[in-house]
Amino acid sequence: MHILIVDDQAANRVMLKGLIERFGHSVSCAENGMQALELFSHKGADIVLLDVMMPVMDGLTTAKHLKQLSGEIHLPVLFITALDDQKTLLECLDAGGDDFISTPPEPIVLQAKLNAHARVRELSFKLKEKNEVLAYHSNRMEREQNVVSHMLSNALLENELKFGFLQTYLSPATEFNGDLVLSKGGPLGNYYIFVGDFTGHGLAPATGALPVAQTFFDLAEKGLSVATMVKEFNRRLVKLLPDDMFCAAFVAELSAGGDRLSYWNGGIPDALFIDNNGEVTNRLPSEHLALGILPPDEFNSSLSHCFIERGQRLVAYTDGVIEMANTDGNRLKESGFENKLKQFGHQDQFDDLVSSLESFQQGTEQSDDISLVVVNCVPTGLPVKQDDHSIIHLPFELKVSLTEHNIKGEDPVTRLVDSLSHLEGIKAHKTTLYLLLAEAFNNILEHNLLRLNSDIKEEDEGFERYYSERERRLESLEDIEVAIDVNYQPVDSVICFGIRSNGENGYPADEFSPVLDEEKMHGRGMQLIKNFSRYYEWKDEGQCLYIEYDLNLPSV
Amino acid sequence: MSVSREFSNDGKQLIIAIQGKFDFSLVQEFRQAYSHIGDSQPTVIIDLRETEYLDSSALGMLLNMRKSLGSSVKGIQLINAKPDVRRILDISRFDKMFTIA
Repeated sequence: MHILIVDDQAANRVMLKGLIERFGHSVSCAENGMQALELFSHKGADIVLLDVMMPVMDGLTTAKHLKQLSGEIHLPVLFITALDDQKTLLECLDAGGDDFISTPPEPIVLQAKLNAHARVRELSFKLKEKNEVLAYHSNRMEREQNVVSHMLSNALLENELKFGFLQTYLSPATEFNGDLVLSKGGPLGNYYIFVGDFTGHGLAPATGALPVAQTFFDLAEKGLSVATMVKEFNRRLVKLLPDDMFCAAFVAELSAGGDRLSYWNGGIPDALFIDNNGEVTNRLPSEHLALGILPPDEFNSSLSHCFIERGQRLVAYTDGVIEMANTDGNRLKESGFENKLKQFGHQDQFDDLVSSLESFQQGTEQSDDISLVVVNCVPTGLPVKQDDHSIIHLPFELKVSLTEHNIKGEDPVTRLVDSLSHLEGIKAHKTTLYLLLAEAFNNILEHNLLRLNSDIKEEDEGFERYYSERERRLESLEDIEVAIDVNYQPVDSVICFGIRSNGENGYPADEFSPVLDEEKMHGRGMQLIKNFSRYYEWKDEGQCLYIEYDLNLPSV
Repeated sequence: MSVSREFSNDGKQLIIAIQGKFDFSLVQEFRQAYSHIGDSQPTVIIDLRETEYLDSSALGMLLNMRKSLGSSVKGIQLINAKPDVRRILDISRFDKMFTIA
């Protein structure tokens, strides 16, 4: 240990130095405060013995400066004094002094005091070390939270909460929200909403939110059903979450017309339909366990469906809403919340509803995350997704020659259309192209080659009989050829199909009646070809059906 | 599985979803999907969101279903048809016989 002795009297310095060196410590000496500060900044010291009255800079001032120089580390300052003057002693303590030694000192007392102050100084070293470790971990934690928070906000970029028909109030209890509200339009103008509540707060639920959000956006974009969604959420969360963590969720799909809702509720308080007066007209209770509990083979994804009358609004919320408490410790409860819905029943009063909830819990600390979502069930007005209609610029020709082997138990039309769909600009037309080709192909196959009579379809059970007869005749078919020619010219962007067979009979063209009986089971195929093609013609006495389809005319 | 059948939780709706191609190759499966619907007069909902292809045989099967179910159901709705599928239903004037939503 290194001791700094500051005293203007040489005799004192020599006496103390000798004594302390005998205790086994090294010693520096200064004659006044200025010198002491200079020495301290160069050599430091573990304990300072300081005279009170000195020229140049007195002990009180020196003590203040020394303490300042020492910073976070505790520097014991012991005043050397013969004074019995209590006022000066108090001033010394106020100036940061830690103790006194009297001159001449009692060696045993001096040694004991030095050791005691050394221990305090040692503690202060340890404290500083621990503080540094703590600060390191705290920084690291903050950095990692920032990373997760960044990832989470990126994952939620697709979240569309700004729709005219959607009102939300989201109030997390801590920085990381254990509630998750997701919302996105589907490809059919339909609309999806997810209101979830993970067990716990903080990082863990936020991490669970990542896969859920990504799955939600992917499946919503594909326009899949809520049943498919919840199955996938559950599959992922069961795999990911520890056993004591799960996610209560309400997931719903509103049809583009705003008149149909299908939903799945696992562990979320009853969602509500309310009318324009805020009266509850229907409850959508939880019918399932939360997500992330049951293994996929035991998970129940069955949905509930309801038809919605005009002017109804859907209210979904997490339990933070009804469990919020006022200063008397009373919870809001379902009844309290529904009263508020009545009180602020109109769509335009959502902000008042929120203020009223906020003032209810004013003065208390929010203990749970709060999410409240209101969807006005009107036609969504969301765009219907269109495929890329860009036109192909290269002419092409394709010849497909089929024998019975390619037809029995196979589906050449689907394969052909699937292949064509890989061409730029064709994909947008694949449903219609399939229709045209399937009708043409089946007409040729069923009438020219299999010689089936469509009238069978009109009899009782005739539909099934027709197709089992088709199957039977197809089995015994031999030596047949069906040729499909596809030709595309970019000039007029028309795809031409020629489908011909080597069957003996041609299509009985006169059988086709241009007037369709809507209840009738057959005769619809040629009608569809007529409607969706630009031009069609039976050629070679009904042996060949020629069809032109205009890529510029997607809508009829 | 290209035809799936599921009753809603309250049993009031039977939802039949058809994936991919809807044509005569599903004749049996489709018929089974709307058999045994019980006496509760459910609404039958045909969900076409994942139907990519359909042809006149599918239209025939839908009409067949309508004839066979008659008044044992509250109604039949065709829902979530993509625009191209919807156009085929419209051209065939299926809106006269089904609710297309």
